[in-house]
Amino acid sequence: MAKLKMKKVQIAALRSDRKRLIEHLQDSALIQIESETEVLEGFSRPDTVSQAQIFEKNAVLTEQALTILNRLAPEKTGLLSSFAGRRTIDPDEIGAIAAKAGERIETCRKIIGLNNRCAENAAELVRIRTSLAQLEPWDKLDIPFSLQETEKTAVFIGSLPGSYTEETLAAALAGEAPDLAFAFELLSSGKEQTCITLCAMKAQAELAEKALSALSFARPFDAVSLLPAEEKKRLEEASAKLDFDTQQCKKEILSYAKERRALQEIQDYFRIRADKYSVIGQLDHSAHTFLITGYVPEEDCEKVMALCNRAAPCVMEFSDADEETAPVKLKNNKFAAPAQSIVNMYAAPAPSDIDPSPILAFFYYFFFGMMFSDAGYGLLMVFATAFLIKKYKPEASMRLNLKLFQYCGISTFLWGLVFGSFFGDAPAALYNHFAGANVTMAELLPWPILDPQKDALTLMIVSIAFGLVHILVGMGCKFYICWKNKDYKGALYDTGLWMSLLIGFALLAAGMATTKIVMNIGIGLAAASAVGLVLTQGRSKKGVGRVVGGVASLYDVTGYISDLLSYTRLLALGLTTGVMAQVFNMLATMFGTSIPSFIPMLLIFIFGHLINIGLNALGSYVHTMRLQYVELFSKFYEGGGRPFQPFTLNSKYIRIQEETKK
Amino acid sequence: MNGLVFALLGASIATGLAGTGSARGVGGAAQAAMGVLSEDSSKFGKMLVLTLLPGTQGLYGFIVSFLILVNCGVLGGELPTLSQGLAYFGASLAIGIGGMISGFAQGKAAVSGIAMTAKDDKNFSKAMVSVTLVEIYALLSFIISLLAVIRIPGLNL
Repeated sequence: MAKLKMKKVQIAALRSDRKRLIEHLQDSALIQIESETEVLEGFSRPDTVSQAQIFEKNAVLTEQALTILNRLAPEKTGLLSSFAGRRTIDPDEIGAIAAKAGERIETCRKIIGLNNRCAENAAELVRIRTSLAQLEPWDKLDIPFSLQETEKTAVFIGSLPGSYTEETLAAALAGEAPDLAFAFELLSSGKEQTCITLCAMKAQAELAEKALSALSFARPFDAVSLLPAEEKKRLEEASAKLDFDTQQCKKEILSYAKERRALQEIQDYFRIRADKYSVIGQLDHSAHTFLITGYVPEEDCEKVMALCNRAAPCVMEFSDADEETAPVKLKNNKFAAPAQSIVNMYAAPAPSDIDPSPILAFFYYFFFGMMFSDAGYGLLMVFATAFLIKKYKPEASMRLNLKLFQYCGISTFLWGLVFGSFFGDAPAALYNHFAGANVTMAELLPWPILDPQKDALTLMIVSIAFGLVHILVGMGCKFYICWKNKDYKGALYDTGLWMSLLIGFALLAAGMATTKIVMNIGIGLAAASAVGLVLTQGRSKKGVGRVVGGVASLYDVTGYISDLLSYTRLLALGLTTGVMAQVFNMLATMFGTSIPSFIPMLLIFIFGHLINIGLNALGSYVHTMRLQYVELFSKFYEGGGRPFQPFTLNSKYIRIQEETKK
Repeated sequence: MNGLVFALLGASIATGLAGTGSARGVGGAAQAAMGVLSEDSSKFGKMLVLTLLPGTQGLYGFIVSFLILVNCGVLGGELPTLSQGLAYFGASLAIGIGGMISGFAQGKAAVSGIAMTAKDDKNFSKAMVSVTLVEIYALLSFIISLLAVIRIPGLNL
């Protein structure tokens, strides 16, 4: 129920058993391997970077192949299948996967090769399309581009900048060379260029050339010997061929889709092996032996021992770990374990911290329920999470997250009963709608309810009272930690006096509403605590500073007041859920009682409540977390410890079956 | 003359101004979040949480308005007197103004939180908590407006 005691472990074994031993440790995920920074004398660390890189490279290769595969043939997955987690395999299966590594790499290469061909084809197609566009103005040309001359005439095929008609062109040419006798054909004329074929007698070839170049005549770049129409056909055929080829490539890639799972597994295998080699690189090796150092939770020591002895002959030594540097692993019972993830999101406990999970778990469920506070929503949460856990059998961490929401759901349900809220005021609203009555939830329910809308003030006081309890528990933890560390002054003066001051104020407030005696006790307690604080808070200073420091410390009371006010969000969010739900119920019952009106009613009811659940579950989640982090943790929790990260299979798709219980 | 006009004016101020604050806050945060998502769409869940944080002000304003409507004869209750109407108007100002300005501020904080989370997922919880620090002021405004609106029908104005 707390932080696990860590043991430092040293395992020495023969180099020849290295592979077997390390792989067993990796599969079991029991030990965090951590070598000293200094290499022991007589030992050396092997350079495994190149091996690790080979596996990394292969992992990247499979990653690429899988990306291509996923793009062309998206994996069909259910909306909720992400809850299912990685596929569980038997430890022996890894060998079978590894045996096919070569084959799989070949497949990946093929997939990548095919994909590259598709890309090349696409680039080629663009080129062809450009050529086709360039050919377009020459559609009417019925002689090859490369034709320069006939028996008697010189032939000019090319383009002129600008737009010409037959008349303007003839005039322009005549203007340049009045003596030239020519015949031309206008193939096309656009804004930017005019394509022509021009014939002139061979004797006048030079004259014609001069005249044309004065008009900036240009021959086309690639003067092919084919007719434009033929060239066009050739290009179109080539393009069709490329299209076909691309289709074929894609089809072939798709044919590998059934190997997706195998590829995913091999990718994991490569990752796992890359990890293994980088770990081996950290170990101290002598000529024939090697040494593993690391941390193991005390309770797992026997398991590690059994495992290593089964794997290979080795020598093991367990010693107490230095608490300051050892990593932290939390272990809690079923009730508190889901809250561990919330603790770890903040920071793992520092060596001096206690494990806050049980306290946090209770208040998390409690406050979440109070904010979400609807019996209907609570039931939905409980059933939805139960369904997901049952159907998809998620992995441990996801399972804990779902459990967290399940417990929050139970609390939400209970608070919903207290506030008299079931999908808002749905029962009352529907009853009123169809029976024409005018009842409220308070009248429908057989037990007395606390209506956040009518008794907002009461609820606000209740919220702050819960906040006070929350804060006092936090301070109690601080008290306990100080006491345990024999810092009695710190416990009594810095925490105890503040606690009694707060309790004094609380009694004072309670006394104002009830009896004078309680009030007087409160005043007495608060005053005594305040005096105590003035006397003790300046104790690290000297002379006048002692008094000033003591009085100044009383100013901290503003901090506690703002902390307490922060708990009014319990009221605010609880009210928000209820009122929003009520609004949607009101909208849903606006359409009369005829049969067709059931459709909009049902739609608004379902979507309205879904929106409300989405918005307010998020709000409750965030604000509950804030209350824990800001108000509770600030009282005692330091954080900043190192979480325990065992040497394990860092895989995406497969995981090793946890050891079957014997 | 009854005070319905003033009551409705108050209701509009509560939802309108607080909604403006939330709209700008969420809008700015959403812009930043989409920039992050274009690089890494797997952060969607975290981005969504940070984006929606400045959205609560609008809800608070809406609830105050709704309760005014329920109390002053539009959705139930009795028509308010002139002074009651003015009282509703006054009560709405807290969440209207407080909600709007805290919405702006929270939006800015959310944008920074998004940038921080984009760099490293581990910063998420810190970013989230820091952004909710702004919320307390919207919350205080809301509680004041709320307590006032709930009590007004019972006051002999």
